Amino acid sequence: MYTQFFGNFLLNKDVISPEELIKAMEKQAAIHLKFGTLAIHEGLLTASEVDHIVITQTHKNKRFGEVAIEEGYLTKEQVDFVLEKQKPSYLLLGQILIEDGKLSNSDFENLISDYQSQYEIFDLESNEEQKNLVVGLITGFGKSEPEPVSQSVIDYLTLFFNNLVRFIGNDFMPLDLVRYEEEYPTNYCISQRISGNIAIQSALDMDTDTAINFASRYANEDFSSFDEYARASLEDFLNLHNGLYSVNMSNERSVELSLTPPEVHSEDILEFETQTYLLSIMFPFGILHFILDFQ
Amino acid sequence: MILDNAKILIGDDSIFARKQIKDMICSFGNFTFIEAADGQEVIDLFLSEKPDLVLLDIVMPVKDGIAAVEEIIDADPGAYIIMVSSMGTQTQLRRAIEAGARDFIQKPINTEQLKTIISKRFEGR
Repeated sequence: MYTQFFGNFLLNKDVISPEELIKAMEKQAAIHLKFGTLAIHEGLLTASEVDHIVITQTHKNKRFGEVAIEEGYLTKEQVDFVLEKQKPSYLLLGQILIEDGKLSNSDFENLISDYQSQYEIFDLESNEEQKNLVVGLITGFGKSEPEPVSQSVIDYLTLFFNNLVRFIGNDFMPLDLVRYEEEYPTNYCISQRISGNIAIQSALDMDTDTAINFASRYANEDFSSFDEYARASLEDFLNLHNGLYSVNMSNERSVELSLTPPEVHSEDILEFETQTYLLSIMFPFGILHFILDFQ
Repeated sequence: MILDNAKILIGDDSIFARKQIKDMICSFGNFTFIEAADGQEVIDLFLSEKPDLVLLDIVMPVKDGIAAVEEIIDADPGAYIIMVSSMGTQTQLRRAIEAGARDFIQKPINTEQLKTIISKRFEGR
């Protein structure tokens, strides 16, 4: 997962103009990812090796992977790994720019490396023990369910934990992840809807003291009361998380989602429609509850 | 960066986000800020205040940020608008560019990136 769409990264870096980005986006649906693009992305081939294989390929009527094995660049297992790997949508943009002569394979290799080092998310990786707890909670929950939990739910929760580490702190303990079917009585609660091919109702609920501390950490300020800035910073956290989830679904799977502005429910009853999950997390300053309704 | 006396309109429904953006920009120079909390207010303030630069969120009540870009560009094709949003998806980025936005800053905002992108607006000023 990344904190920015690859096309936006290219635009911000002035690698391409807005017009070129739109042109490349328009071509995406009509093309397929090439083996060489994927192999550079996985770090299995360098740009010059890809260039060499492409030249060799023109003299032989063989597939890219076969030539890569014959030339000793890849093993059969590595070729199979690349073929079976999930193909992130954003690579199509890079490939189109290579085919249009806007980027060389070598430019692409350097840009992918910059993109990964600057924008890839792995905050949770910094604490092995905690990562194991989180992964155990999510996968353990999946195993106890009558039907498998979808990859979208797993991705959503993994990103949520990463965002907690990144913006609030890593001193938390995930307590519980359970299916929740009743009406949920709120303390101070922020909710937000994601709509599109995946519809999600998300809600972050906690008591006011916990909310003041949570907001203080997020805003990097010392809020002494639950004023409008503290309340707005809670909304900003949920909005940021849901925005980053939408960006990743767009970047990696070409799933386009939209968001509604966050809503506040103070001492209210939340009613969910289907597949509601309740996640409880303990910080030293209090417990927060995250409610997820995947429709 | 010479930004003195520049007038910047910040359109975001979050008072927290507006403050965060203002605090960051204040470290680059002196300016006047105007603030709007929804898309319609952004359009109204743009027309009455004629700011040098507009920084605009997408997900806002009443009218979203991209609808506001379309109306502003209709009224003033030279308007300089930069989106600042957590929703930097392919669709929203494309809508924003097609509506006439010059750039797109993905939240959470990186101060250096904000400075670089804003500087482009005031180059040669």
